[in-house]
Amino acid sequence: MFILTKIADLVQIPPSQFEQHSRIAIENNINAKYSNRVIQKIGLCICMFDLLWASEGLIGHGTGLVNVNVEFRMIVFRPFKGETLFGRISSSTPEGLNIRTEFFEDIFVPYKELPESTEFDHNEQSWIWVLEDDERMHYDKNEMVRFQVIDEVWNDQMPETVEDEDMENAKKVSPYSIQGTMMKEGLGVCLWWD
Amino acid sequence: MRVIEAQNAVLTNVEVYEFLNDQARQHHKEKRRAPGNLETVRKELLQYLESSPNPMSQRPLPYNVAAIPILIKKLRPYSISKGECVMIMNLRPTSIANLNAVLEDMEGRFNEDAQQSIVDIVIEVLGQFPPPPEEEEGDAMQTTE
Repeated sequence: MFILTKIADLVQIPPSQFEQHSRIAIENNINAKYSNRVIQKIGLCICMFDLLWASEGLIGHGTGLVNVNVEFRMIVFRPFKGETLFGRISSSTPEGLNIRTEFFEDIFVPYKELPESTEFDHNEQSWIWVLEDDERMHYDKNEMVRFQVIDEVWNDQMPETVEDEDMENAKKVSPYSIQGTMMKEGLGVCLWWD
Repeated sequence: MRVIEAQNAVLTNVEVYEFLNDQARQHHKEKRRAPGNLETVRKELLQYLESSPNPMSQRPLPYNVAAIPILIKKLRPYSISKGECVMIMNLRPTSIANLNAVLEDMEGRFNEDAQQSIVDIVIEVLGQFPPPPEEEEGDAMQTTE
């Protein structure tokens, strides 16, 4: 579920942070820039794991910022294809199940990845797995589930122009989303198997 | 920003859990505030790892990072892939149905005895949730929440 990614970057420390130890100022600047953000094709950054290297600080002309070149490792949420994870059903639509975790919301299980003989109940707006003896197992909202990652979708949120409308539209697409399956024994609502 | 190495290492959930908990404790001790975006994702991630049936929801904690090399050593005879080992650490399958959710082609690779032996190793090294209260005698107030 988590990996370490090695990154090089330039950190700029403003004079207001000069009273901090440089180790802390560097770490705070890195986390302020990366934590809870998605890097395309890398994953969702959680926080700096360790600082591998930092250059001498160089003061820029005119700004007073101290420029430090750094190399560090970042804890990144990036489940691999085939990985099974816990999640919670956030909503159901005729297209499938939306799953979320506390820190990541964009997980989708399309209906064709649910077990055979699963049907959508339009009155209850939920999916139901109908077993041979006619027992009906509900995929209820907020239930904890196990799902397996089958694909990932990346969207660079770069707007096409700087017009407000384009800027807003670019923000609406999720930068990183995961597609999952529940088509295997042991996957699906946790309570069924425990 | 330049990515030097996309995947330098893989971390299990218990490693991330201990790292973030230590960090939160350290910040608290030093009366230091982390950037807001870090505080948010740290809180949400710890909440996720502490919600049942994640093994880290159990108190006292059922295992720590010291369990990783022990588990790898005990599972070595079964030729389980690295990714599968990571999932076993993270999800702690304590039944054969749950083991099936983390092993590829489990029934083709392992006979029933081997499947049970793997589950037994998981329970031995990583523990399991206590049985539901109605089966327990005495302290029926204990829940697995």
